Amino acid sequence: MAYLNTKAQKETTYDAIVIGSGISGGWAAKELCEKGLKTLVLERGRIVEHVVDYPTMNLDPWDMELRGGLTPEQKKKHYKNGRSGWVGLETEHFWADDEANPYTEVKPFLWLRGHQMGGKSLLWGKQTYRWSDLDFEANAKDGHGVDWPIRYKDIAPWYTYVEKFAGISGEALGLPQLPDSHFLPPMELNCVEKHVKERIEKDFAGRNMIIGRVAHLTEPLNGRGKCQNRNRCSRGCPFGAYFSSNAVTLPAADATGNLTIRPYSIVQSIIYDEQKGKATGVRIIDSETNEDIEYSAKIIFVNASTLGTTQILLNSTSNRFENGLGNDSGELGHNLMDHTYRVGATGKVDGFDDEYYKGRRPNGIYIPRYVNIDEKSKTDKFLRGFGYQGAGFRGGNPANIESFGADYKDSILKPGPWEFFITGFAECLPYHDNQVYLNKEVLDKWGQPTLSIDAEFKANEKAINKQIQEDAVEMLEKSGLKDVMGFDNNHPPGYGVHEMGTARMGRDPKTSVLNGFNQIHSVKNVFVTDGACMTSSSCVNPSLTYMAITARAADYAVSELKKNNL
Amino acid sequence: MDRRSALKKAGVLAGSAVAIPSLFSLLQSCKSENRLDWQPLFFTETEAKTISVLVDTILPRTDTPGALDVKSDMFIDKVIAKTYDEEGQKKMRSEIAAFNSDCEKNFGGTFIELNASDREKVLQAAEKSSGKFSPGVWGTAVGKQEPIGFYRSIKSMAIWAYFSSAEIGKNVLAYDPVPGTFEPCIPVSEVGNRWSL
Repeated sequence: MAYLNTKAQKETTYDAIVIGSGISGGWAAKELCEKGLKTLVLERGRIVEHVVDYPTMNLDPWDMELRGGLTPEQKKKHYKNGRSGWVGLETEHFWADDEANPYTEVKPFLWLRGHQMGGKSLLWGKQTYRWSDLDFEANAKDGHGVDWPIRYKDIAPWYTYVEKFAGISGEALGLPQLPDSHFLPPMELNCVEKHVKERIEKDFAGRNMIIGRVAHLTEPLNGRGKCQNRNRCSRGCPFGAYFSSNAVTLPAADATGNLTIRPYSIVQSIIYDEQKGKATGVRIIDSETNEDIEYSAKIIFVNASTLGTTQILLNSTSNRFENGLGNDSGELGHNLMDHTYRVGATGKVDGFDDEYYKGRRPNGIYIPRYVNIDEKSKTDKFLRGFGYQGAGFRGGNPANIESFGADYKDSILKPGPWEFFITGFAECLPYHDNQVYLNKEVLDKWGQPTLSIDAEFKANEKAINKQIQEDAVEMLEKSGLKDVMGFDNNHPPGYGVHEMGTARMGRDPKTSVLNGFNQIHSVKNVFVTDGACMTSSSCVNPSLTYMAITARAADYAVSELKKNNL
Repeated sequence: MDRRSALKKAGVLAGSAVAIPSLFSLLQSCKSENRLDWQPLFFTETEAKTISVLVDTILPRTDTPGALDVKSDMFIDKVIAKTYDEEGQKKMRSEIAAFNSDCEKNFGGTFIELNASDREKVLQAAEKSSGKFSPGVWGTAVGKQEPIGFYRSIKSMAIWAYFSSAEIGKNVLAYDPVPGTFEPCIPVSEVGNRWSL
């Protein structure tokens, strides 16, 4: 394809450079290209062309020699990623090489990375929810972290803007703590999910159980096909039905003729010009040839993933910025957050033996936050809140049944028992001492410093997790489920794959890295619009907010550029 | 078995879904019953026979194929050979040995040497003593996972090997690679067996 310009060395000057091609980088590329800027996207991994580079998208288990199993060599390559439980042969090629790209866990932390064009937009969970002023006002109200420089009204139109193009399915409910998106038709609950919903909404005033809001097309959109209910999303979707950079934003950027993508480009640092008082370009290492190359541009968007972005900024030192680009506040690398993960309850459901479903819906249920949303729902046990995802399905593990032989074999060919689980996502407060910093002792394959990650969940998150589990057990028991079992896997941060913060937005340059339009306070032509920019973590999945913040910042960047302010 | 009836049997087998042993190995088997008709990658011949009889006892042929019909034993051997690290392989080897020595202690012979009724008694005891898998949420067990014994882990692998074989996955279970729509509530009778994928 024309836009896959792997020999971009000849042209080293662009209007804009975007570092990273994942969810936020793809949006930055699309917006900047559509506004007429010649844009270079620097991708540290390989090209992944939509459909063409999805080798496992149609494989059934028996088509794979080991039916999804990994060899010891493959497991070694993913010795950290593998802890997530997500890595099998179907997606192995979309997870970063842990051996070539080491990081140091000062405290346990799982850093999941996708080093290829599209990044983790190929692998993400597609749950998409707007944040509300409950989230944007949280820091100001309880004094943790610093105040967000924006409110819901600033970002609401940008949510609408990105939703119309990305395609978000869901049901409008008018909940103040979970504002409605511009929706495509919702997916449907199965009969057990409907049953549990009715019971929970009847027995627990103020609680709702809804179908997940997701970046899956339930109607065709802009030439993309609708979801075929295969639930093989993370292998890449041949129908382009879920949102990924590869299927959605990068082709749109390419259609303008303004896009150049350069793969195998590890950004070593951003170049700062003291005379001009701004950034003039970036320095890369070609990961295949080890060549150092510099590219220049008027504006730079840093979208290398939360920690990838901060790693680049920390490594971008100069006389003016000895501790990392834009790090006058000392906050760069600090206030790392994630959501807690795998804490909830699971149980069995009797009485639906003749009910089944058709299709593998790539979605589940969602229970929006119901604690600390108003005076009535206030608790003194913790600050902030939590929400749940979950699902009902016919499962059961046939290996657990205490039987064997002919009758047993025939019985396990039939649909298994109904199960239902919910699992919570707790908001994590921004703590200054949850941090990352450069490690010059441990170098990567290209001789670059790596990150040390020193973060943990603390008393408030643990108190929320306790409530998540207690409430989950109570809701499932009251809904009539059997053998209800609460659980908390005590996963350290990172498992939620919602890492946020480390280059936060704020009103005051003394206490934050970015301003209200995601510009580095002291380097106005550098914008950070991925998870690194987040000032608080909400309990709500963040990717939709990255999309909206990116489109808003790109709009501002181009208008400032036109006014010669950058 | 004489040579003529061996040839006759080979002819019958050729028409079925069963793994067809080479004529040579079939003739050899006249001398040694239970001789393997496949070459293991990991197991010794004794270990392989133990696994074959075990998975055949758990998932025998009925009016649907059994574990051996879809070569579950060969797949388990391949998985252990190609996906286990050295430590895991060593553990598997010692667990099979321990399983057989328990059989000898309690019933006077290794598992394959026992009659059907004693084999059943061994498995009934193993069902009680080899732990249960905790439920999973998104690919990972939740709650406290008790230790899983040899029998439960082989049973689990046998079921995986069976369900994920083309024969069962496509022709016995309900197979629908591209469902198109999601129908949230339909009677089981419209589907039949459990969904394959």
